Parts: sequence; structure tokens; C-alpha cells
Amino acid sequence: MAVTHHPLPAERAVFWYGCNLLRHGDILRLTARFLEAVGVDAAPRGGPSHCCGSPTEQNARINEAMGRRTISAFNATGRDKVISWCPSCHMNMADMMAPETPAQFEAAHVTEALWDRRAALQKLLLKPVPVRVLLHRHAGFQPRVAVNDLVSGLLRLIPGLELVEEDEALPGHMCSALAGVPGALAAAHEANLAAIAQHGADTLCTIFHSCHREAVALERGRDISVMNWVHLLARAAGWEFLDEYKQLRNAEDPRTALDDGALARIGADVFTQLMEPELRRKPVV
Amino acid sequence: MSLAARITTEGARMAEACTACGACVQACPMTRFAAGVAEADPAETASGMRALLRGDEASPVALAWIGACTRSAACNGACPEKLDVALMMRFAGMRARGALDGAPLLPVKTDSAWSARVKGFARLGLTDQEQAEWL
Repeated sequence: MAVTHHPLPAERAVFWYGCNLLRHGDILRLTARFLEAVGVDAAPRGGPSHCCGSPTEQNARINEAMGRRTISAFNATGRDKVISWCPSCHMNMADMMAPETPAQFEAAHVTEALWDRRAALQKLLLKPVPVRVLLHRHAGFQPRVAVNDLVSGLLRLIPGLELVEEDEALPGHMCSALAGVPGALAAAHEANLAAIAQHGADTLCTIFHSCHREAVALERGRDISVMNWVHLLARAAGWEFLDEYKQLRNAEDPRTALDDGALARIGADVFTQLMEPELRRKPVV
Repeated sequence: MSLAARITTEGARMAEACTACGACVQACPMTRFAAGVAEADPAETASGMRALLRGDEASPVALAWIGACTRSAACNGACPEKLDVALMMRFAGMRARGALDGAPLLPVKTDSAWSARVKGFARLGLTDQEQAEWL
């Protein structure tokens, strides 16, 4: 995929980051910054008030109402395009939401938006990132958006980065789906670890947030790094970031690893009851 | 048309076009994680999924297959009728989880704390201004 040099005009869009990317404020912020830097005025919108309905698949009426609320909110922005992050949101828009509530915008995935503007993106990626990367691929979203190819293409814009050739894709559309099927997530992790060893990779690059959430614990006791593709682009751009979720997930005690004031900001009960159990979960492999 | 009506009518339309040949089951990378599916006749498993879309009773092996679907989409490429089998599985899964008000045939995983949890993470990772503008 060659880099074109025809600058695209600026456009106004919504960056629909979904719900669970809120665990990764660093990825959200960096992605929004990259979109802006390549000429997309993309207003980030997400969280439970912009839900695609996927947590309510056991009730079609509620699912439909949530989708309608979200599309109505996007229509009201008057923006021409909604750029999604989450594959589940993206597919729900096409399969469940838009057939029920007409959308007055074009839908695109963030990897498409950045790839379309790769000439501008490449100008930002000046710092070498000397890592040997295995891309964490899933099969399920690829027929809708060629995300495995697009992220590979974006990573190849980074100077010094070596991407190992691996065609195998994991089942499912992202790891959160596998986590719901006993044995499936462990099998996926084992397959990734075997491929890392086979190819001599030092970095596992996740594409989606739920894969990142599940994979960061693979760093424990292993000489590998787990990074999201946006992190790698940011390193090449020289942008500072902290993967706070990974830091907490891999801390011996996530509570003591919180920054000063975090507990008060979050609410001690919310952290103790809702977040800490997730951060302390035993890794599946 | 409501989503519930679409699941019923579009599901029935796709079920009518499905020959239950089992190619989708054979292509599925998740069968080894679904109890009894790898050993069962793929055509019978597909037939059970088709039955559910028609509002009929689904076999236990079909329910096990539907319950293990992670949206790999390998089924779509395998279907000789060029059906959107992944969407059929989605509709079947919603039916099996009681989306149309019937009793659930598969376990329903609900997380009543989901919204509060992600907002807690937002307070951890985003500034007050980012939360005010982006949520």
C-alpha cells in the first residue's frame, strides 16, 4: 500500500469511541489527537449515553431504544461522518441501529480514516521505534473493514519498526467475545505466545481495546511488551503517554499503584467494588 | 419496522433461504469450544439454528453452537447460498437469550454495574474537561 501525497480537505466528524475504551483514556486521547493532526475535526463522543445497544441483546426493545438515542444524538451534531473505534459498535450501527433509525451521516472506522490521510500521518512519524511486532489479529471484523491490513499498513509507516508476517487470525471479532466462551481466550493467548516465540517478536500489538485489556497481563514474567497500535504511532510521533490500565493491571497491588488523588476522584466504593476486582483478576495464561 | 419485528421477519426470510447444509458449522472456528458440536452432524446443528430463527424449538447442540458464537464471520464465506450467516447467528442468539420476550434458552450475562464501572475508569483516565465534553 503506497503512501499517496494528495492532501484531503479538512472534515467535521464525530469520533465515536464506544463505551469500554473509557478504560484506556490514553488510547482515546491519542486517537483523537491523531485524527485532529491529520485534518479531521472529530468530536469524541461515547460512554453509556452513546451506547450501540450491545449490552442489551437480551431485550430487543431496549436494544433498539439505545440505538435510536445514539443515532439521534449523532444526527443532531450535523456532522457528516461518524468515525468509530469499536468493531462491535461499527457492526451494530450497520446491522441493528441504522436499519431502525435513519442515520444522516457516513460511517467509517478509525483505521480507514487514518489510512485515507496517511500522507499527513506519515509526516508526524519521524522517530524510529525499533521493535519487532506481532499484530494481534482477529478474523471477525476483517470482512467489514480490512482492519488487519489497515493497521499493518499504518505500522509500516513507522521508521525502524519491523512487522512479522503472520496470516493467522484469531476467532471472533475481539477478545471480549472470546472471554465469554470457556477456554477460548486462553487458546488465543497461547496461539499469540507461540507466534511471538516462533517469529522472535518482542512486542504484541493489539488492535482493539478489549484485546488490549485482556492481553496486557501477558507481560507478566515474560520478556515481551504489549502495546496498542495507537501507542506505537504515538511513540513514532514523539508524543508522551502513560498506559495506566496496563500499569495498574500488572501492579502487585493496583490500589497502591494509583496516582495521588485517584481514589478520591473515582470514589473509593466504585474502585473497590467495580474496578479493583477486574484489575486483580488472575491472568488466563 | 421495530427491531423485534425485523428479527422475526428477516430471520424467517433467511431461514427460508437456508438449506441447512452445515457448511457454516464446518467453517466455524468455535465448534471445539461448544459442547457436542464438533461430534455432531453439521447439517443437524445448522438445522437447529434455522429452526430457532423460524420460532421453532432448537436442539441442544444448536444452542451450544449459537452460545459459542464470537462473530468470527467464517460462516459467511462458507455459505453456498451467500447468506449473511453471521447475522442469522446474531438474530438466533438474541432470540435464544429472550430478546423477543420468550424465556431465555441460553444464559444471559448481564452486568448491572457496567455503566458505573466504565465511568469509574473514565474518572481515572480522563480530565474533568474531557469527561464533560466527550461523555
